[in-house]
Amino acid sequence: MGTVTLEGVHKAYGNTTIVERLDLDFPDGSFTVLVGPSGCGKSTTLRMVAGLETVTSGSVKINDRDVTALEPKDRNIAMVFQNYALYPHLTVLENIAFPLRATKTPRREARVRAQEIADSLGLGKLTGRKPKELSGGQQQRVAIGRAIIREPAVFLFDEPLSNLDAKLRVETRSELLAIQKRLGITSIYVTHDQEEAMTLSDRMVVMREGKIAQVGSPAEVYGSPNSVFVATFVGSPKMNILRGTLDGTTFQTPEGHSWPLVSQHRGDVLVGLRPEDLLLTADPAGPATITQIELLGPRAVVSLQLEGTKLTSVVEAGALQGLSRGGTVSLDFRLGSAHLFDPMEETRLPG
Amino acid sequence: MTSVRVFQFRMLLPLLAVAAVAVGLPLFYALYLSLTDFSLTQQGPAEFVGADNYVSSLTNDGLWGAIGTTATYVLIAVSFETVLGLLIALSLQKQKWARDITRAMLLAPMFITPIAVGLTFRFLLNDQLGAIPQLLRSLGVSYDFLGSGNALFTLAMIDVWQWTPFMVLLLLAGLESIPQQPMEAARVDGAGAFYIFRRITLPLLVPVLSVAILLRSLDALKVFEYVYATTRGGPGTETETIQYFTYQTGIQFFRLGEASSMAFILLAIVLPLIIFLFRRLDRSAHR
Amino acid sequence: MTNARILGSLRNAFLFFALITVLFPIVWVALASFKTAPQLNDPSLLFFEPSLLNWRFVFEAGILEAAGRSALVAGITVTISAIAGSGAAYVISQYKAGGAATRFGILAAQVLPPAVLVFPFLTLAYVLRVNDTLLPLIFAHLSFVLPVVTWFLIGFFDSVPKSLEEQARVDGFTRFKAFLLVVLPQVYPGLGAAIIFGFTLSWNDMFYGLILTPSRSAILPVAIAGFNTFRGVELGSMSAAILVAVIPVVIASFFIQKRLVQGISGGAVKY
Repeated sequence: MGTVTLEGVHKAYGNTTIVERLDLDFPDGSFTVLVGPSGCGKSTTLRMVAGLETVTSGSVKINDRDVTALEPKDRNIAMVFQNYALYPHLTVLENIAFPLRATKTPRREARVRAQEIADSLGLGKLTGRKPKELSGGQQQRVAIGRAIIREPAVFLFDEPLSNLDAKLRVETRSELLAIQKRLGITSIYVTHDQEEAMTLSDRMVVMREGKIAQVGSPAEVYGSPNSVFVATFVGSPKMNILRGTLDGTTFQTPEGHSWPLVSQHRGDVLVGLRPEDLLLTADPAGPATITQIELLGPRAVVSLQLEGTKLTSVVEAGALQGLSRGGTVSLDFRLGSAHLFDPMEETRLPG
Repeated sequence: MTSVRVFQFRMLLPLLAVAAVAVGLPLFYALYLSLTDFSLTQQGPAEFVGADNYVSSLTNDGLWGAIGTTATYVLIAVSFETVLGLLIALSLQKQKWARDITRAMLLAPMFITPIAVGLTFRFLLNDQLGAIPQLLRSLGVSYDFLGSGNALFTLAMIDVWQWTPFMVLLLLAGLESIPQQPMEAARVDGAGAFYIFRRITLPLLVPVLSVAILLRSLDALKVFEYVYATTRGGPGTETETIQYFTYQTGIQFFRLGEASSMAFILLAIVLPLIIFLFRRLDRSAHR
Repeated sequence: MTNARILGSLRNAFLFFALITVLFPIVWVALASFKTAPQLNDPSLLFFEPSLLNWRFVFEAGILEAAGRSALVAGITVTISAIAGSGAAYVISQYKAGGAATRFGILAAQVLPPAVLVFPFLTLAYVLRVNDTLLPLIFAHLSFVLPVVTWFLIGFFDSVPKSLEEQARVDGFTRFKAFLLVVLPQVYPGLGAAIIFGFTLSWNDMFYGLILTPSRSAILPVAIAGFNTFRGVELGSMSAAILVAVIPVVIASFFIQKRLVQGISGGAVKY
């Protein structure tokens, strides 16, 4: 069992608030990702769950037990740091077995268990090596092994994949997920990479300036972002945002471009359109100009300039006919795909 | 107190305890001494004389002479050590073979106890028994190393012999931590070796240079052993450095109260240097 | 190409000259220790029948006892300094404990002129009737060796990432255990260098030794100074005494070269 509950968790230094009265639930066995730009408070929140940072006010509960005042060692957690924090002077086996020293587990038993875990992670042959002799991916697996051996209630991850190159990152991601599903341990994972957040989590918590911007499954957060911030943060390339007015059947920009858009809302609005929902047709009289085409294999990212606004569209490679740099296009919104936001509050509008 | 604070305090405690006894207590006692007329030969208890010692020390020509002598000594010694140290460090940096052993040998002098260095040179420069005057005589040169006018310079050169390696050590490390790219870029742009040194290497070396010069100067002004081994302050008072002068006042004349006041005057002079050094080190460390 | 060649030869010649300058006095002393009095009258005598007279004289005069006392003082001083210093250096480095004031105090204590502290030590020694023993000397040596060792270690602890300690705490250890089992092992090489350097500083001190322990329990440098008379006949024995003092520390110095700079600058300059 491993539930985590944050109630009114608040962290401030003097006048600066890092995390503002956070209320968050982490169900047993879930994989929650805290994601957000630098300085949003995600790492601080994680460290408060770990006990590495003190809580200014509020409480942290693990399995309904209030651990707010407890040292990390008494919380029954395991953590993987960004640089893996492997003990340089110990071998792989000793690294993995190290946490058992704290529980006074007999040496032989510790070694046996560590070897089992090393084998399950594909490190069986490397147990005699020191960390500096391992590759990045191997080091990461040692860190995970060390975390697993305690059979903790909660796994905490602080951007563990940031040090790996792109390809390795993707591979390790799926391995991590597989391990978590197999062991069923509640995991809280911090990253600044929204793509990573989307692929790993069954629950995403988007944070901004110490507060929760949105909580939900990746599909929810991607499909129904509740604010311009979340909408532009999640999803790459970024969502296009256009300013204009609605009159029930059309959306019109100040420069005079208009598109059909049925809505219940009237008046000034921000319209959000994912790049894959912005459709292009080559048109010599079109309002937008193509400034760049980046081919990414099956798709291409097309950058456009519409008067003063930069837009992005994602086009299937096969549909690139007639589209070229410098050429003009006309734009269409995919039916029903527009997101509406209040221009002042930048929050989602229904309809 | 939070658990972190308790932990920090517990870890610091041994240090603070030892420091209190080994540094703090003597420091305050020295201050007390400097305000009394304590003398080892006196029979009665020491009397509080307030600032009298300080006044007499500050008006003591001998003390000011010693300060001047020491300043000259430090200036000469550290200048030579800096230039020579830099040249040696630059040469060592580019050296290809037998590098470690050369370095190890060149650094040896700084580990020898200074009294041994002083005594060695005393005899090495001795007219009858020393090899160097003999060598000079064979070239037709006669030089009185420890005679009037030369003694202080000779002592400074002894300092140079022993402590240039210290400068080499720090400057070499400094040179090796300078990023190579600006220099490579300059060479690609056609700059000559000397230009590169003057405009790129040297400015980048300034932090290490200043730390090295400060550390060395603070150490050089404590010079005692060389004087004790060779000239004992002479000829006349030519080589009376501060530490030697203080030693004489306290140990040879037993006027501990007065000697303590001199020591504090010295401390007052040295304190700004220590603060400056501290600031410099802080800046380098938090780069 | 020739420009570089010329510079290269100049450089080699310069270094060679520097090496000669460094080695010459040392070699000269070494030779002198094996010369008899009449041989000493010829300073440039290179090839001679070596004699162990000086060495025998120096050993009989108690040089090994003096060396033993130096080693004892240095050993005790360095042990206390290492124990007190490592814990303190750790929290000063990783927790910024004590703030700038503590670090300044440590720096100042290192560079403090001995003249300031020696008179109190002398007076207190007389008062407690321990004058001319090794006890006040140990305290005096502690006054500068402890700061140096601590300063050294701060520089080395600075290079250890904080996440290591945090990982150990998450893995189930108290802060102290995390320090002892995980962080301290990372600085063992630096600790070794600090201990050797601290030992050397204590071993080489003459100022405190001369004033606090001038006769009965004289330490090595003071004993060497004792051979300093204005009669040249002591030169041979003095040379032998000097070698006894010099050889151990110079050999030890070979082992700590790599760590020296990081230690001396308190971490400001890394090798």
